[in-house]
Amino acid sequence: MKYELVAGFETHIELATKTKIFCGCSTEFGGAPNSHCCPICIGLPGTLPKLNREVVRYGIKAGLATHGEIAEVSKMDRKNYCYPDLSKAYQISQLYAPLSIGGYVELSNGRKIRLHHIHIEEDAGKLIHQHGDTYVDYNRGGVPLIEIVSEPDIRSVDEAREYVEKLQQVMRYIGISDCRMQEGSMRCDVNISVRPQGSEALGTRTEIKNMNSINNIAKAMEYEYERQVDLIESGGRVVQETLRYDDSTNTTSSMRSKEDAHDYRYFRDPDLVTINVSHEEVEEIKKSLPELPAEKCKRYVEELEIPDKDAQLLTKYRKISEYFDAACEGVKSPKTVSNFIIGQIFRRTETESDKEEFDVKVTPQQLNELVKLIDSGKIRNNLAKSTLEKMLDTGKGTLEFISESDMGGIDENTMLELCKQAIECNPKAVDDYKGGKEKALKALLGNVMKNSRGKADATAAEAKLRELIG
Amino acid sequence: MVTREDVENIALLSKLFVPEEELDSLTQSMQEIIDFADTINNAPASGDSFDNINNLSNVFREDEAVQSYSSEEILKNAPEQAESHFLVRNRE
Repeated sequence: MKYELVAGFETHIELATKTKIFCGCSTEFGGAPNSHCCPICIGLPGTLPKLNREVVRYGIKAGLATHGEIAEVSKMDRKNYCYPDLSKAYQISQLYAPLSIGGYVELSNGRKIRLHHIHIEEDAGKLIHQHGDTYVDYNRGGVPLIEIVSEPDIRSVDEAREYVEKLQQVMRYIGISDCRMQEGSMRCDVNISVRPQGSEALGTRTEIKNMNSINNIAKAMEYEYERQVDLIESGGRVVQETLRYDDSTNTTSSMRSKEDAHDYRYFRDPDLVTINVSHEEVEEIKKSLPELPAEKCKRYVEELEIPDKDAQLLTKYRKISEYFDAACEGVKSPKTVSNFIIGQIFRRTETESDKEEFDVKVTPQQLNELVKLIDSGKIRNNLAKSTLEKMLDTGKGTLEFISESDMGGIDENTMLELCKQAIECNPKAVDDYKGGKEKALKALLGNVMKNSRGKADATAAEAKLRELIG
Repeated sequence: MVTREDVENIALLSKLFVPEEELDSLTQSMQEIIDFADTINNAPASGDSFDNINNLSNVFREDEAVQSYSSEEILKNAPEQAESHFLVRNRE
């Protein structure tokens, strides 16, 4: 029997606010243990939390960027559980009235992964387990999070990978988080089940907790899919449980403890008042959002005629796309700009973090000038390429490397004349070419290049020759 | 209805040891407590009225950092500490 994978994600993203969600302590990563703490975020009795306005705004941005509907009224709830990472024995979260409802993330295959909701909540402290004892650092306790809860719409490991990448990309674009999985500012829990292909009913799911890289998510899902299929095939039954993924052995194992019989006893947090979001505020935040990657990509393909694959690369990080946008200002062929970026500039920003930073020696304005010289026929592509190389080495502008005489490229009429001349003087080559000898065209092209003293654009000349001979 | 199993489970979650012979009397006591709390259901009010009794909304703080406490100060009341961490001993 063939089986289908069904998965849903709960994604926690740490918000890049300066301070924690309910107090003024810093959210900075690192720092000496328990040095970013105060009575509120270590949960001393008698303290009163006060909600950080920016957390609500960031949450609204996340909702809008994923097509969610922002709730006019939302509330904070207490989720009770007893564990040392949570000093109050409850986490302040949202259950009954989350900030953003619904929405979706669209994948490249056109499928929309629906979101159930997005809520805001506080992060827990960090635990270090050593020799059976637990060391607790509350610096992370109270750092604001959003949790993005998807519907079980994911049908393959590839879709899961893309879903996480898309979320990461869009949250970085709107500037609410750096989404660094290895630093824990983005963490995923995956709910996964299998069912016979074509079946509508959902199978029993297991939940794999706290995965901190996309590769681990993919490996854990593959493992868990196989495990569940094997279990069912051998007449067994999947047990609903929480699992931990161990990347050293590439296996999942049960995290179930006696205390897993959780009853979170959610209730409205009486210390925190209702959050009302007006229509005007939502509209104002909507206006403040940058053009999102999906829209940008669409615009690049449809309006600028950039191939889809290249458009994906240009929009992967916000800084690259902004560089591209600036360099395209008023140029005739955005494709040329794109080629320079994806070719020569990407060769100098090799790693993903280099690309994310996109700290390039040549400013987009300098690249823009260079491309405009090609546009106006003043220089040829080859010269532009070698010039860009020199510019990337030195950070100096176009005019440092291109002299007036270099820019004496030839205009269209001269080009036409030179091509006609080459055809008239080489009847044999023309006949050979007409007879199917592709190589003969090279001779004609050589003639044009020679007579233009190297200034003609070879690609344009070749096209013109073909056109004339017909 | 509060059952013996409920009491056992609550004891487990709150990390309390309840001797077998006390289970029945505790079950009964807890039932009485719940019954007492149920009086509130007879109060003439809809669910929302008690949701947020002072009817406030949108009390926010600005995203401005204030000085945190020193880790010494934070750890002052910790039953046990080590290397600037709260230390939780394994009791099992």
